[in-house]
Amino acid sequence: MSRTELLRKRANELLSQGVVKLVLGYRAGAQDNVAQPFFATTPDQTAELIFDSTCSPNIANYLLKVKNIGRVAVIAKGCDSRSIVVLLQEKQIVRENLYILGVGCEGVVHNGEKSVTCKACQYPNPVIYDEMVDAPVEKTTPGPQVLKADDDFDRLTPDQRWQVLSADVARCIRCYACRQACPNCYCPVCFVDASTPQLLGKTHNISDNMVFHIIRLLHMAGRCVECGACHRACPMGIDLMRFNRRITKIVRERFDTSPGVDINSPPALTRFLPEDSQEFIK
Amino acid sequence: MKACIVTRNELTQLLDRLISHVDVYAPVREKGTANWAKISSVDEVYLEAVNSREPAKGFIFPRCELLMRFDKNGNPIVPAPIQEQILFGIRPCDARALKVLERFFVQDGKSDPYVQRRVEKTTLIGMACNRTAPTCFCFALGNSPHDTEGLDLLLTEVEGVFLAEAVTEKGEKLLADLSPADETVLRKRAALKSKVESEINERFDVKKLQGKLPQLFKHEVWEVLSLSCVNCGACTFLCPTCHCFDVTDETMRGKSARYRVWDSCQFTLYSRHASGHNPRFDSSSRYRNRMMDKFYYTTEQVGLISCVGCGRCISACPAGIDIRQTVAKLLRIIDGMGK
Repeated sequence: MSRTELLRKRANELLSQGVVKLVLGYRAGAQDNVAQPFFATTPDQTAELIFDSTCSPNIANYLLKVKNIGRVAVIAKGCDSRSIVVLLQEKQIVRENLYILGVGCEGVVHNGEKSVTCKACQYPNPVIYDEMVDAPVEKTTPGPQVLKADDDFDRLTPDQRWQVLSADVARCIRCYACRQACPNCYCPVCFVDASTPQLLGKTHNISDNMVFHIIRLLHMAGRCVECGACHRACPMGIDLMRFNRRITKIVRERFDTSPGVDINSPPALTRFLPEDSQEFIK
Repeated sequence: MKACIVTRNELTQLLDRLISHVDVYAPVREKGTANWAKISSVDEVYLEAVNSREPAKGFIFPRCELLMRFDKNGNPIVPAPIQEQILFGIRPCDARALKVLERFFVQDGKSDPYVQRRVEKTTLIGMACNRTAPTCFCFALGNSPHDTEGLDLLLTEVEGVFLAEAVTEKGEKLLADLSPADETVLRKRAALKSKVESEINERFDVKKLQGKLPQLFKHEVWEVLSLSCVNCGACTFLCPTCHCFDVTDETMRGKSARYRVWDSCQFTLYSRHASGHNPRFDSSSRYRNRMMDKFYYTTEQVGLISCVGCGRCISACPAGIDIRQTVAKLLRIIDGMGK
């Protein structure tokens, strides 16, 4: 049986046996574009489920929509499972209400090629699951590595770096697709939507755009699992992963941890260890 | 109106002449696709991507427009007048969309002066589509990839040369000293037109949709349809006809400026009242609003559906939502109601 067939079979069984109320997965999207997150509530609907390289939205994002309906089965690839871990650690969802159907992932497609995040993926298989639908896939990328693009960027002077980032961020239309596509961006009121008082200007001048991206990034430090959902969601093609890779690298170097990998290891910025570097205390 | 044959050389000369004294904008290469930019040479024009990442609406309705400045004493300082602009290579769907926008903003006795002066200063040189993208569906709505609505001049590439058809007097002036087109070219172009139209298979009965949509207001389908929606504003901001805006004042060192910025019905803040009450508090009511607006509300307001079939909301959606599937589903429900 193919992976999709196995997936449909298990999803069907879980629903018919009443183990779960709903199966959260994907169904075919528009043309060869992006698969659509799909909520199967009856056994027949599981026939629509798919899993392939178009399944690029981070499915953990949708767990927040269905967290109050009882036990939910969720089809999770590596990065999705890491986001689930972060959401569990942050107490946004409850483990008992989840049935994680793990799938190994060979990478998802973005603009006709393998997504930039998948090319450097360290966790193609789920880090947490109730059962694997199929055999795990083999990890094809070596350990964390510095991309040539980042290396080149690092060689620039601070002014040049600022110019590169400004030119990219100036194109932001503030549609907030990045924020909405991110499972870890779940604040009931985002700082950009605060209106009494208003915290951020609504015009598209570069400082407002930059403040939005930098603050979002700071909020992501130690939490971003580098799934790339925001990067792929951006309708303007802004290189958001450039920012994300940087914060992940800093967190990894300073705290020797990667978010969402180990449920028992608290997020870097929510814990204190005596050996944390403290050179900022003068 | 006049129809002429324009060779590549003549087109280059025409554009060079225009570039020398007017701001000319065209789709240029940008990050693997095309997007609008001011051009200084014909070579920059890039029409291979079928359509540009962003629509042309920003040229008459910018995403952030300075409405006025005023100082401490309240004296308004009106911004500088805007320049003549030519949009070269605009696709028929986007030109139609500008016409739709014009209907909203420019009306007898209650015109928006900011949009109106931009409309008046804008000349549209369209390029007919001889092929479609997988997300194109203009024909499904009764439009054509060769339509002239909203344009001043339409160019169609016919075997290496361009058939140029004037649509308005502005367009006719551009063709002043060119030789008229003969029957053969017009016949070849008709063949191209039916070929490209045949690439789009769906047909939507939009009249039926607009007639029955009000009855679906309380239907449970919106809950189901909106489940996969993440409520970002990508669809509305990239939509060539979405035109909601917010007005915001910014003050710095005693000087204030009033801006008009795009807003989106997909945002929670959009419909929140000062009291805190939000009539569109959930995802499904916001999703419904977008569909109602495209196919029903605007027909009531200006007599036009405000979807032109450009497909940008499909390719921009981070959740793979396809407006064609939504329309088809709504039509299926409507058909079921009649029985």
